[in-house]
Amino acid sequence: MKYKVLVLICVLLALLGAVGSALVLLSPSGRRVNIISDGKLVRQIDLSSRENTSFKVSFKGRTNTVEVKDGKIRVSDADCPDKTCVKSGWLSSSAMPIVCLPNRLVIEFSDEESEVDALAR
Amino acid sequence: MRVNTKRLCELGLLTAAALIIFVVELWLPNPFPIPGIKLGLANIITVFAVYRYRAGEVFAVVIARILLGAVFAGNLYAVIYSLSGAALCLAGTLVFRKFIDERHLWISSVFGAVLHNTGQLLAAVLLLGTPQILLYWPFLLLSGCLSGFFTGLCAQLVAKRLKIVSDNSHTIILK
Repeated sequence: MKYKVLVLICVLLALLGAVGSALVLLSPSGRRVNIISDGKLVRQIDLSSRENTSFKVSFKGRTNTVEVKDGKIRVSDADCPDKTCVKSGWLSSSAMPIVCLPNRLVIEFSDEESEVDALAR
Repeated sequence: MRVNTKRLCELGLLTAAALIIFVVELWLPNPFPIPGIKLGLANIITVFAVYRYRAGEVFAVVIARILLGAVFAGNLYAVIYSLSGAALCLAGTLVFRKFIDERHLWISSVFGAVLHNTGQLLAAVLLLGTPQILLYWPFLLLSGCLSGFFTGLCAQLVAKRLKIVSDNSHTIILK
């Protein structure tokens, strides 16, 4: 009986590990996001901190509202005419940054190697 | 710690065997690029020693293996991780051996491996000051369960054989 419980704990530990690994693997690879306005890095956000915020980025009097929610980032509002950045939704891939051309805003995953990866090998 | 010559000899043998296994494992290709994930075959000896020797003796064997292993592997930096992992692992398994008998040795081994990996990870978090490394924990948990299971089964086989030997003659490690 005692050993059945212990074996069960072992199996649960392995399952916990498997599920956790899957969750980590399925989340987007890049966790740091650069917000670049007019070619300059204005802000860097760590999405893994899971803080929900929203802020405005201005360029020549026009603004984009950037929303960070549940570890995801998007442009929730923009005062440009075409609103391409709003329509592109949540940032999901490092290959497809969110770009607002009129307001010269780029939101992309930071591709610099994180400290962990640099030390890993 | 008072150790008689025979005992000392056995501990030396165990350390040598663990070192050989450790060095051989260095040559096995590791398909996982995550640091901390490996078979840890040398822990077959560790788990076996936990069940047959006193706490102080087990610590001596493991610490000697880690220090000498680091010299052989040319990676002294890893000593801190190994030592912190081993400390937590041994503290845990020395408790487990009180209520998990030798026929279920692999269960102790699984718990020990998970503790070992957790200890290493905590050391890494403290040393590097980056809590994001904790994201590795699920991987280490899974690999700890699998490798702990495997090394535990190996240790169990060793324990079984050595018990038979000790029943028939008095030449090899006795209990």
